[in-house]
Amino acid sequence: MSAPDTALRAGSDPYHIGHAPSTGVPEYTGHGGGGPSPKRIYVGYGFWIFILSDVVLFSCFFATYTVLIGARDGGPGPQQLFDLHTTALETACLLLSSFTCGLTSLAVARHSLLWSEVTLAITGLLGLTFLGLEAHEFIGLVARGAGPTRSAFLTSFFALVGCHGVHVSAGLLWLGTMMAQFPAKGFKESIRHRYLCFSLFWHALDIIWVGIFTVVYLIGTVTP
Amino acid sequence: MSSNRDEFDLGSHVGEDQVVGGAPPEREHPTLRTELRGYLIGLGLAALLTAASFWSIDEHVIYGPGIVMALIVFGLAQVGVHLVFFLHLTTSPDNTNNALALAFGVLIVSLVFFGSIWVMFHMNQNMIPARALMQMRGG
Amino acid sequence: MSLLGKLTWQAIPFQEPLPLFSGVAVVIIVVAVVAWVVAKGYVPYLWREWITSVDHKRIGIMYCMLAGVMLLRGFIDAIMMRTQQAMAYNAPGFLPPSHFDQVFSAHGTIMIFFVAMPFVIGLMNVIVPLQLGVRDVAFPTLNSVSFWLTAAGALLVNLSLVVGEFDKMGWLPYPPLSELRYSPGVGVDYYCWALQISGVGTLMTGINFVTTILKLRAPGMHYTRMPMFCWTALASNLLIVAAFPVLTATLAMLLLDRYVGFHFFTNTGGGNSMMFMNLIWAWGHPEVYILVLPAFGIYSEVVSTFSNKPLFGYRSMIYATMAICIISFMVWLHHFFTMGAGADVNAIFGIASMIIAVPTGVKIFNWLFTMYGGTVRFSSPMLWSIGFMVTFAIGGMTGVLLAVPPADFQLHNSVFLVAHFHNVIIGAVLFGVFAGYTYWFPKAFGFVLDERLGKWAFWLWLIGFWVAWGPGYVVGLEGMTRRLQHYDVAAWRPWLVLAEGGVLIILLGIIAQIAQIVVSIRTREQRRDLTGDPWDGRNLEWITSSPPPAFNFAVLPNVTDQEPYWDMKARAREIGQLTRPEPQYQPIHMPRNSPTGFVTAFFAVVTGFALIWHIWWLVLLGLVGAYATFVVFAWRDHDEELIPAEEVARLDRANRAARSAALHHRQLRRETRREPSE
Repeated sequence: MSAPDTALRAGSDPYHIGHAPSTGVPEYTGHGGGGPSPKRIYVGYGFWIFILSDVVLFSCFFATYTVLIGARDGGPGPQQLFDLHTTALETACLLLSSFTCGLTSLAVARHSLLWSEVTLAITGLLGLTFLGLEAHEFIGLVARGAGPTRSAFLTSFFALVGCHGVHVSAGLLWLGTMMAQFPAKGFKESIRHRYLCFSLFWHALDIIWVGIFTVVYLIGTVTP
Repeated sequence: MSSNRDEFDLGSHVGEDQVVGGAPPEREHPTLRTELRGYLIGLGLAALLTAASFWSIDEHVIYGPGIVMALIVFGLAQVGVHLVFFLHLTTSPDNTNNALALAFGVLIVSLVFFGSIWVMFHMNQNMIPARALMQMRGG
Repeated sequence: MSLLGKLTWQAIPFQEPLPLFSGVAVVIIVVAVVAWVVAKGYVPYLWREWITSVDHKRIGIMYCMLAGVMLLRGFIDAIMMRTQQAMAYNAPGFLPPSHFDQVFSAHGTIMIFFVAMPFVIGLMNVIVPLQLGVRDVAFPTLNSVSFWLTAAGALLVNLSLVVGEFDKMGWLPYPPLSELRYSPGVGVDYYCWALQISGVGTLMTGINFVTTILKLRAPGMHYTRMPMFCWTALASNLLIVAAFPVLTATLAMLLLDRYVGFHFFTNTGGGNSMMFMNLIWAWGHPEVYILVLPAFGIYSEVVSTFSNKPLFGYRSMIYATMAICIISFMVWLHHFFTMGAGADVNAIFGIASMIIAVPTGVKIFNWLFTMYGGTVRFSSPMLWSIGFMVTFAIGGMTGVLLAVPPADFQLHNSVFLVAHFHNVIIGAVLFGVFAGYTYWFPKAFGFVLDERLGKWAFWLWLIGFWVAWGPGYVVGLEGMTRRLQHYDVAAWRPWLVLAEGGVLIILLGIIAQIAQIVVSIRTREQRRDLTGDPWDGRNLEWITSSPPPAFNFAVLPNVTDQEPYWDMKARAREIGQLTRPEPQYQPIHMPRNSPTGFVTAFFAVVTGFALIWHIWWLVLLGLVGAYATFVVFAWRDHDEELIPAEEVARLDRANRAARSAALHHRQLRRETRREPSE
């Protein structure tokens, strides 16, 4: 707030109850007075809000896992079950896919159809590999009698990791739709907005995965 | 301020905000090289922190009771790396709304996560099932 | 396995006359309404102008209509419960236990999720973009999807009346009772899927409005120039975004337990049912503030307008709102003090709960000081607001009582608690939406509601509420627990009979409200709001005509202070003519209507119904249909349509002419009044 503005306000609003009179000078920057934002800005912001709400959703599953990690009903615990090599491979896949997704952003910004499709395809393949590894792990666990119905601990494990897996699958479905839309629709504004949202989603899934490998696999393995 | 706005979403661009995950904040025509470098740095740092996480439990290099704390630190650092290098979230004035939303989200997540753990820990302590209590007393 | 899953003829309650008859009656009414609409040829109109509409005003009106219809449904449940308890002293009453349980569960679920929520969201839809001075919300099609998903949830809840049964364990299905082992029926599934579907809609509303309020405002509208209703709507929607994912997660866990044998909350396998209470209240407490904060915003608007004064303590009001928004996430344990978290945890949550009373008190004083020294007009919106202040102050105090853990050990699950939350939800949320409904009705429809019947409705509701729930406090202190199907304590009987009288007074109030709408519609030509500013309002929603054109504002208003419309009006009255010269009209792009919302909701109902009855092929079909809808929508090329400049000019000129005439008229009146003294 500039000095004359403050002086004016102090004069006519002696109790500072917030009824600033008109100063006649529009003063916009930094106070959110710049008028409606362009579509690119608010589409991105809306999706950012959605991602935050999704993170809250995951926080419930994280909390449940942490609360139920000791509730094994005589069944196996993390140390007997988790194979950290698979986890490391999954982590690598997802981290690389997050990187290639960033490359797609660069290609989309430059309207390069070829590179957009190539990097998206690599992102998708890495995502598929991740899902394959996860499915392999789940099937192995169930085969060893450590399915989600065995104990509350396994329930919370399958639910948390599975919820992330469902998100990745939804992301792959979206990725496929995007790969079809680039050639069909070109790089027009709405498609670029959509891609922006997709990239936010994909990067956010990787951030969630950082939480999962840290809390579920690593901390889970070191705590008795 | 022009008053004839024909576009539904067209407004003054004064104080326009940065888009999360959009182009990195360098305003003067980011080249492919600088942008690529950003993603590569992010990838490198994230890979390093991931490796540190896995290594710290593999080798027993860290004082036992400190492992969990170290893992949490590495994890949080990596989340930070992702936010900065992949989502291009910064503390610039253009990013205030995005960062505030993130802060609100972090607050809620911590309240739900740590609050639940705190509440449930105390409940589990105070409300031990009668059978288990009897076993404890008997044994 | 059968092609129809668990669905058989036994799902229809042939042997129970009461649900059967009411179900058949509802079906007949619905069929009659649909037949009437088809016969009159209204279907294309409804489809074009309402069902596929993405206009925030239309969607808001549909939200309010849904809430109104559901209010009737929920209120019938209320009459049934009061009657049962008035009758059931040492007697079985007229509702068997299994039916009584469904009635109180359905009452709570419907009143919270399908009355209070849609009403509040509906008013936000109609008013927030107008107050912000913009042409629509950030994501208009998503807005339509939100509404139709909410309607889909409401449909599923009401379907349970005819096909199958509803949840029998209250408006929150506490495990382990709600687990498959103890509740093998479809009641809990109806509850969960209805709430999951409408919850997704609510979450999208939250995202939509947070984005709209933070990113789309008229030029010059700083954060500290936003109308109070927009601030409270922002706080409420932030809470939606933060809290509804918790509900989704919790219900998903319960569903996993029920459908695939997981062990989140079961008694076996190490499950922990207390985790359910913990999570559901981490959503449930913010939910209370999701409902009440917008109501506080409505009171702020109404009190300021009808006191002819700016809102007192605008900034302190913002701080109070945001403080409530944050603290409401730190108090959830006070809903289960008695579950044994121990003295220290209870103490901290108890203190946090009491702290919430501080910003709430700030608000009450601000409203009182707004009235102080103002020229107060006691129109019906103002009456609702004053009635609220009295009622809510008492309800809030009983809430602070309940926040004291040792007192809560005595009072929890008693009728005292039930009286408390009815006191705040009726006294604050419902009175608030009624105030807002009366206040903004002329803006939405272009004519003012009948004031005499409105005042009747207010007095009947206020008196009826106290006669119905004052006794609740008494029997609660006398030890009556909630949800009793019958009882044998003679001392409670007179109070419960009195409460039955109260609910009948409220019934008269509702009849007065229905009469008010009917009378007002029939005499609408005499009650037209020609200028678009029937109450001498202060914020931007009154700058445009009533009802506003699709584009709201021909030219986005330029905001230079906190009450831009009031200042503009004051200047216009000084100089005796409109302040702004006629602008150069431009064509306006508006988002195109889309059936996406309706189609998505259709598939959501199909999927939800199939999931409830385990009809797996239909689940798959519904999901594929929803995805196909999404792709078809994503493939759409033209998402905007153009309103030509001449049309904009025509509508805006009409409004300017009406306002000029009103100004002129006012000038003449003042001059003739002045003459004798001069």
